[in-house]
Amino acid sequence: MNDWISIPLVAFPLISSMVLLAFVSNASPKVREGLVKPIRMACLVFSLLLLVLTTGMFFKYFGDVSWMDIQFNDYEYFASYAWIDSLGINWTVGMDALSFPMVWLTTFLLPVTIIATWNEKYGATYFPLLLMMGGALIGVFVSLDLFMFYVFWELTLIPMFFLILKWGGADRKYAAQKFFIYTFTASVVMLLGLITLFFLQEPNTLASAGSMTGRSFSIPELIDSARIANTGDNWFLGKTMQNILFVMLMIGFLVKLPAVPFHTWLPDAHVQAPTGGSMLLAGVMLKMGAYGMFRLPLSLFPHALYHFQLALMIIGMVSLVWGAIVCLGQTNLKKMVAYSSVSHMGVILIGIATMQPMGWAAALFMMFAHGIISPMLFAVCGAFKHHYHSMEIGAMRGMAKHSPWLATSMMFAWMASLGLPLLAGFVAEIMMLIALWHMISLDGWSIWWMVGPALVLALTAAYYLWSMQRTIFEGGDETQPPATMDGQIIPDISNSEKFAMLILAFFTILFGVMPWIALDMMDDWTQQIFNGLILFVGKGGA
Amino acid sequence: MSNLNTVEPFGEGFISALCPELILFAGLILLIVVPNLGSGKFRIPGTQTRVPWLLGGKRFKLTSDPRLPSWIAVLTIGSSFVMTILSFQDGVERTAIVSEGGTQLLMINAFSRVFELIFFGALTLAAFACMNRLDVKGVGAKLSTDELYNNRRQGDFYILMITCALGMSIVALAQDLFVLFIGLELASFSTYVLVAFFKESKAGTEAGMKYFIVGSVASGVGLYGLSMLYLWAGSLQLDVLAETFALSGSEALPMIGIGFVLVGFGFKVSAAPFHFAAPDAYSGASSPVAGVLATASKAMGIVGLLRILLIVAAPESSEDGTVWLVCLGLLSVVTMTWGNLAALGSTNPKRMLAYSSVAHAGYMLAAITAIGAWNWDETLSGDPGEAAIVVLTALMFHLMVLVAFKLGAFLVLSVLESEGGGSRLSSLGGLAKREPFLAVAMFIFMISLAGVPPLAGFMSKLLVIMGIVKVALGDMSEALATGSELGLSDVHWVWWLALAMVINSAISVYYYLRIGVVMFFEEPEKGRTGPLPAGWQVRFAILACLLATLFMGVASDKILEICETAAQSFNYNWA
Repeated sequence: MNDWISIPLVAFPLISSMVLLAFVSNASPKVREGLVKPIRMACLVFSLLLLVLTTGMFFKYFGDVSWMDIQFNDYEYFASYAWIDSLGINWTVGMDALSFPMVWLTTFLLPVTIIATWNEKYGATYFPLLLMMGGALIGVFVSLDLFMFYVFWELTLIPMFFLILKWGGADRKYAAQKFFIYTFTASVVMLLGLITLFFLQEPNTLASAGSMTGRSFSIPELIDSARIANTGDNWFLGKTMQNILFVMLMIGFLVKLPAVPFHTWLPDAHVQAPTGGSMLLAGVMLKMGAYGMFRLPLSLFPHALYHFQLALMIIGMVSLVWGAIVCLGQTNLKKMVAYSSVSHMGVILIGIATMQPMGWAAALFMMFAHGIISPMLFAVCGAFKHHYHSMEIGAMRGMAKHSPWLATSMMFAWMASLGLPLLAGFVAEIMMLIALWHMISLDGWSIWWMVGPALVLALTAAYYLWSMQRTIFEGGDETQPPATMDGQIIPDISNSEKFAMLILAFFTILFGVMPWIALDMMDDWTQQIFNGLILFVGKGGA
Repeated sequence: MSNLNTVEPFGEGFISALCPELILFAGLILLIVVPNLGSGKFRIPGTQTRVPWLLGGKRFKLTSDPRLPSWIAVLTIGSSFVMTILSFQDGVERTAIVSEGGTQLLMINAFSRVFELIFFGALTLAAFACMNRLDVKGVGAKLSTDELYNNRRQGDFYILMITCALGMSIVALAQDLFVLFIGLELASFSTYVLVAFFKESKAGTEAGMKYFIVGSVASGVGLYGLSMLYLWAGSLQLDVLAETFALSGSEALPMIGIGFVLVGFGFKVSAAPFHFAAPDAYSGASSPVAGVLATASKAMGIVGLLRILLIVAAPESSEDGTVWLVCLGLLSVVTMTWGNLAALGSTNPKRMLAYSSVAHAGYMLAAITAIGAWNWDETLSGDPGEAAIVVLTALMFHLMVLVAFKLGAFLVLSVLESEGGGSRLSSLGGLAKREPFLAVAMFIFMISLAGVPPLAGFMSKLLVIMGIVKVALGDMSEALATGSELGLSDVHWVWWLALAMVINSAISVYYYLRIGVVMFFEEPEKGRTGPLPAGWQVRFAILACLLATLFMGVASDKILEICETAAQSFNYNWA
């Protein structure tokens, strides 16, 4: 079959970007200048190839796969090859309805990002770094081996570190190092959790156990053994151990997500990052956290999930509300958008904490929808910065008059993000609300839990509309170009930016009007994981 | 005890067993003789007949080539390295070199071979890179006095390199603490002089002096400890000591004696609180020498620690041993934290690397503590040998890959140093523009030191943590599988060492990244904008380190196997 297909999917962008970078770094500055155009084109073609590949996977051109009714812990395009035998490390890859949308999203955002930032400076190294980032992200989503997963997880930091450091704003050194250290610290704690989990499995029971350690890093085999162990009154590894490991893993994922109070790296990183970096960071990299939660702690430790349900709900609510409140006070456009990401990630956590299949499906769809909308938000911010040399809300007023394209894109993106019906974000939010109602009515939670989301609906509308009013509309005929422009004539956004905005807008509408394209498989999968996980152990087991 | 060959000195099989060392010895003599060959003649007394005897006089063109000593040294240590690799080909036979009475003096097995690999690898690379270091101009008779002086220095420098290699490999082979001590001193004295050899800067001599004084005090204390052990057991044979210790290990005398010996080795691995000389020595020495101190010399100290702690003081647990265990655990945490915090504040990249090497010593001590925990703590059952082998494998792998990226980092600094920089963080500024290869290599070494996947440094750190966690969890997995409820309090306390390790790695990321930031995003210092000093040898050595860093991270399977066999051969009781 075509099981090997995931190898080029991961290796091709990584290797091609490294070859390009090695090639460029030996060229003199003058030659490098001349190389920008061919390299940009090469990166675009490579990323489009990946997009064709994943789209083909979706439409089942490559092999006989079905994205519907994938059983929990069952994977399409599954393949496993030995890597480091003595430790039980394998190149194990596969995709299910959790990871496939994320993989597709990554391959979709890569070309869009390249197009949107077509004229970025130092292009000869910029575009290969984007490509490398894409490869590492795909690696995170397809890997089904704890070791591989961690390797790719950390590998995503390196291109992002350089993207922020070289192409970022004035305070980029601080932001890049903060970003790196913050997420690295969280993930080494996660690593210790993973290793503890590794050695807590019964030795020599799993098929792919290492010859020296007698344990296996294989995620599917671990999940299987966890499912078997989680029967009756028994719990995989016991209740206490589940809770400890759950917390250790969640530290890594919550920081990446990020959830309040671990979110402080995000605004810095976003404000300083270049547009392309922000688009990938918000679009896909944040989702790594949510993805990791579903893949590991949720699948392995159902008891701990029950145990920490309230804590997750509280963290989710706080992220949701706090993110929105902070947004209201921002004067920096990009910072506002960054905090709105924190708020939206809160939706994902709430969706998980509702413990309803629909809530989980909402979380999955939120990951996907936010992955399309937030790059558009950041593309708008980037264009704003590019044209008005400032990020301050109010640095430019009456934009509708000067730059109708930018104003329209901004309005569309803002509306999509605040959850306008028929756009992708709305679907996820309404599903989350319904799931929350389910939880309140079925599981007997207090009605007061609805206050947070209801409040945030208003708050989100407020900060988005307010910022639009201050940038797009206010001013009128007598509006002067901002002082930062020195009286220059303000151009509208470039054609490549227009094109990128149109694509993103198109898909936002597409998944808003016809969410089932992606939602069906997510729905199926969350049903399956509930059958495999929750119903299997019986509710109220905690 | 499985098929042990015994060989008497110069008996059958002696040459093949000690091949790398004999090559070193031959190279040493060559290095002394060859650069002195010339047209010198000897007049037979009472006659006018002059017989050419080749020593002295006007030297030949080839023998007066200033690069000759370094080539001889590189080829000598390099061929020892190759011979060591070749000996792995069909498994290393356990061979003991015995004295006439049958006492084992040296033991050749996979364990010692792995360490020889580390020593020779590091020294070959350092010697090769040094070829560009000492400034030599002109060839043959046209040398001025100064240049001649430089040429003489070349000879001395590489002679010391070879004696260093010889001493280190004796440490790896020794089965008798006295032989071990001789090897240790041979290597130490060579390194004292090597540190002081950096005469271009005043810091060199000072560093050499400091290093010598502190080092000799540490050695003296160690020797005192040895004498106590001898007084107690009547022998310094490792086997005899182990047996005697197992019988009556809880006496005060051996405990104090072992404590003193540990001081001696603690200095070598630069563990806190014996690390104070290390930053001075590293920053004063020329960078390749500092690289040797941080890799090979440290590995030598670890061999000593392993021998003392795991062979002499470990088997057949005695309750009082736990005291040492707790001390060692605390020491490891103090060492890694101190190293990292001090590195955070240092603006001299060489000092920073020195402190990071202190931190790495802490990680290794944590690993040794974990092995000791299995040995000493009766609460830890399970399959003990298995756990210890995982840790020991990790430790050896760590020391092996350290050669790649630690030495590599020092070699990059060495290039800057021959330009007069390298002792300030800002002298790394703009390296990416001046020579992208060096900057990229340095960045990869740095993130490998920080433990970022998929580089070798990540693999080694992962393995050490895995080893510790494995020991800490013991047989909990079986207990959990039967459904018993266990929590963190049931985990052995060495697990917290692993936590300390991961937190420390997170701290260390800051100063490693800072180097990258300076190289890529800061302007060069004034007067340092042009191309860097030439020299393909040092760049070749850096390239070798770089490839090893990448390769051992991604494809570590084969090397792990070697380390595992080595770990198994360390103590035949485990097999």
